[in-house]
Amino acid sequence: MRSVRVMFWIYLALIFAGLAYAIALGLLEH
Amino acid sequence: MPRFFKDNSLSIAFGLIFLASLAGQAISGHGSVNHDAALHNGDPISFWHYVTSAVFWTDVMENWQSEYLQFTLYICATVWLLQKGSNESKQLDRAGGESDEEQLLGDHAKPNSPRWAKAGGWRTSLFSNSLLLVMGSIWVLSWLAQSITGRINYNETQLDHHASPVSWLTYVTTSDFWNRTLQNWQSEFLAVGSMAILSVYLRQRGSPESKPVGAPHSATGTEG
Repeated sequence: MRSVRVMFWIYLALIFAGLAYAIALGLLEH
Repeated sequence: MPRFFKDNSLSIAFGLIFLASLAGQAISGHGSVNHDAALHNGDPISFWHYVTSAVFWTDVMENWQSEYLQFTLYICATVWLLQKGSNESKQLDRAGGESDEEQLLGDHAKPNSPRWAKAGGWRTSLFSNSLLLVMGSIWVLSWLAQSITGRINYNETQLDHHASPVSWLTYVTTSDFWNRTLQNWQSEFLAVGSMAILSVYLRQRGSPESKPVGAPHSATGTEG
């Protein structure tokens, strides 16, 4: 299950990194 | 095949086609923006400028939010709403959150059940809704991101045409924001509704998204 847990965290990290970047971009260019 | 790939082929394959599509979107979007600039005698922008711009990220976020809304709604709706004959539905007498016994909670948990399924109290309540909470949070955040990056593009267009920029609260009431939002939602809802009803009479051998090929059309909530 270790490799499955790795994939789980890769997906969550990728998604939240994208969200954080887009929100920061929007707020900083404001 | 190495164990890692065997255990994770579905999430790896979709992760890779996601990255490839995102790269394709960036390349074609950059081309499209520069084509438009050339038509209007504007200066072309670099690829890096484009992929770090609000234009690109609005397009990414508006598609993300609709996909996560789709799954959030589906997770939530399928607790209560049912479709006779659909593999996407639970059996007709199981509407609702179901009993602790059916959900393997508390005393009904198995030795290898997740710790928070056995813990009781707030931890079990939180864990019982964790998929909906995380998918719903991603939806809300991506929709928020769409609105704040979309407003930047909107205001740039406004300024280009000597019109006043708008506040975020005004932007979320504009036809631009709702047109971008609803054109994505309508396709998601149609696809979900189609999946629920088409899976009653149609089959895909080997797919867990389908009933077994020989299952009767009236069989509800069986896995392939």
